Amino acid sequence: MREVGRYYDGATGQRLTVDLELTDAGVMRLLHAELEEGVQEWPYDQMRALQDQARDDQLVLSLSAQRSDDSGLIDTVRLTVVGQALIRDIKALCPDLDKRDVARGTGFKVVTRLGMAVVAFCMMIFVILPALANTFASIIPIEREVAYGKSVVRNMERIFGGSNAGDLTCSSPKGDAAIAQMLARLTSRTKTEYDLNIAVMDHEMVNAFAAPGGQIVLMRGLIEQAESADEVAAVLAHEIAHVETRDPTRGALRAAGTAGLLSMVVGDFTGGGVALAMAQWVLDASYTREAEAQADLYAREMLGRADVSTAGMARFFDSLDGLKGEMPDLPIYLSSHPDSLERGEDARAFAQDQGTTTPVITDREWTELRAICE
Amino acid sequence: MSAQIQGRYHGKGEPLFWLYIKTALLTMVKLGIYRFWAKTRIRKYIWSATSANEDSFEYTGTGLEKFLGFLVAIVILAIYLGIVQMVLFFAGLNLFMDPETASGADIVRQVAAIYITLFAVMPLLLFAQYRARRYKMARTRWRGIRFGMENAAWGYVWRAIGHYFLTLITLGILAPRASFYLEKYMTDRTWYGDARFEQDGKWTALYPAMKHLFIGAGFIIVGVALAALFEAIVAAILLSIVGYIWMIVGAVYYRVQAFNYLTAHKVLDDKIGFYSEVKTSTVIFTYIVGILIIGAVSSIAFTALFVVGFVGAFVTGMSFEASLSGSMVGAVALAIFGVVGYIAILLTLGALSLVIIVQPIIAHLVDGVQVHGAEHLDDITQRSADLGADAEGFADALDIGGAI
Repeated sequence: MREVGRYYDGATGQRLTVDLELTDAGVMRLLHAELEEGVQEWPYDQMRALQDQARDDQLVLSLSAQRSDDSGLIDTVRLTVVGQALIRDIKALCPDLDKRDVARGTGFKVVTRLGMAVVAFCMMIFVILPALANTFASIIPIEREVAYGKSVVRNMERIFGGSNAGDLTCSSPKGDAAIAQMLARLTSRTKTEYDLNIAVMDHEMVNAFAAPGGQIVLMRGLIEQAESADEVAAVLAHEIAHVETRDPTRGALRAAGTAGLLSMVVGDFTGGGVALAMAQWVLDASYTREAEAQADLYAREMLGRADVSTAGMARFFDSLDGLKGEMPDLPIYLSSHPDSLERGEDARAFAQDQGTTTPVITDREWTELRAICE
Repeated sequence: MSAQIQGRYHGKGEPLFWLYIKTALLTMVKLGIYRFWAKTRIRKYIWSATSANEDSFEYTGTGLEKFLGFLVAIVILAIYLGIVQMVLFFAGLNLFMDPETASGADIVRQVAAIYITLFAVMPLLLFAQYRARRYKMARTRWRGIRFGMENAAWGYVWRAIGHYFLTLITLGILAPRASFYLEKYMTDRTWYGDARFEQDGKWTALYPAMKHLFIGAGFIIVGVALAALFEAIVAAILLSIVGYIWMIVGAVYYRVQAFNYLTAHKVLDDKIGFYSEVKTSTVIFTYIVGILIIGAVSSIAFTALFVVGFVGAFVTGMSFEASLSGSMVGAVALAIFGVVGYIAILLTLGALSLVIIVQPIIAHLVDGVQVHGAEHLDDITQRSADLGADAEGFADALDIGGAI
């Protein structure tokens, strides 16, 4: 049986039309006057075909190699054969045509490189960037922090649907006075470095947040959810803790540093968005968990010094835990926070050791605070 | 007598469609890691479909080396981007003004402070762009002879930044100069075996290709002038819309004509010449028809998914409230149906855009290329393999490079 194929030796661009002989001796013979000694023998079990080829009317063949300068482990020679009958015969004779040879030590190389990349990446995300954020957060001038914090609150307001600045901010003379009284009570025996600026936002979400530079926002939903002023005071003390430790500023700096790093790893494939969101969520939670626990501790001590019972704090966390099942928009507050029940327990334990306590503001002031958005 | 070779594209829609679906599914199952192998396999298909004088091109890259290159690149990028972005953000913070007292100029500075982080990525994008082209060249063969590019990515980065800056401050008038010199930089460093490519021609010769961009811009300028001088708002809006669409088509025209010109003025080894006859109309037609088909398919498919899901919910007597109150099996089945259907539609649309837009345009491009003086190709000998390539890990990490 005699057939032909186009042969390239991998060293020159010259095409040789070689005669092919499929022998019974386990080799294919390539015959051409310009080949060394006029003949080459290709063992069937060494022959490899290129993969994922577009043309089924031809087969491009090569030989497996011990080592290769190129990426795949095949020789640089190429033989293209044309014709269905010949292709069928070759496929029948060569057992490992589609085998992909892997160089020795590849597995080791993959594992070490992967390990190094993971370690370096985690170092960056969990050690270097947070440390850098810490440093920057501590050297930023307070007035810059305040200016930035104000624009964060402004943006927040826009996200919740206020088209103009102050649209969603609730204010009434008596309500404001109640907040001022609550703040005065809390800070009477605990010095704060920042001028605190507390706003109530007209939104049903049970949430509160601290922006850089002493900006604290309480949502209307949180005040409505609370059964007593002590509960609101507990949340306020928690947010003051964040302000004082510059957590929001640190968070913003860290977010700027890690922006895009995760999406770089995950890449852009169908379903990648979900994977990315999950990774981001886990990362955020791991960053903030400790800061939240610290803020709780600070809040308990602040309330204790002001002779306000932390029983309100405990009640608030209990009610948060109850809400978890019914309100789908709650996770924003909960996601990065430690388990509500546990936090409630800590507050209860603290309350038992407290001496005489009085409500943070009077009942009349509490009624006025609740009416601040009306 | 000079031998002439015509490019030919042999790829077909169906096998590529299924190759895309198969590799995309694997990518999903393997949480994105298979994407390097997926891209490699698609490339192998497209390269092998491209032939000249009956000899197919060959893509010798592997998914594994792309993956390893990526691992190196993300570490370098994580360090660079993490630190640079944070420093720039910190510098930006110092530009923040109290929103109550900020003037217009302050607000502009503030916005600039936010976008300044983009400039941190810019040099890397250009670096990745050059490296990606270099990697593809290093992994391309024809007749068993390798292509290759010199290791000169940083030179490209500085030149590109300079050229783009000039283009920007001249409002795009110097765009041909940028395209010509950047292409020349890359072409002059490209090799086929031991033979070097060279980019001949003049950058000013690209101006005719800009004509439709100028016409479109003209419409918009006239429109703005009408609005300013005669308050003819309706006419102004109409002219601007016409000008805008004209410019979009003009941009495609420019790219196609520039490609033809630059190809026709490439020389390999001082002896081998090229010719290209890509047609703007074919490219635009393919693109528009493709977009229309994909749009139609996606709207039909999503409507069908929604209707079937809705009917399914109705028939099994499940409603959202019911699912909350405890009859979970039906709701879960329905949710699975929804997710699977959604993913299937997304995959199909991705495969369709590859098969009815990208591949036909590549086919048209390849079919329009001719090589003159092809008899000299026999004298070219092999070049040594490029080992140092990072396998375009940077391009993968920064997600540039598009479909192939």
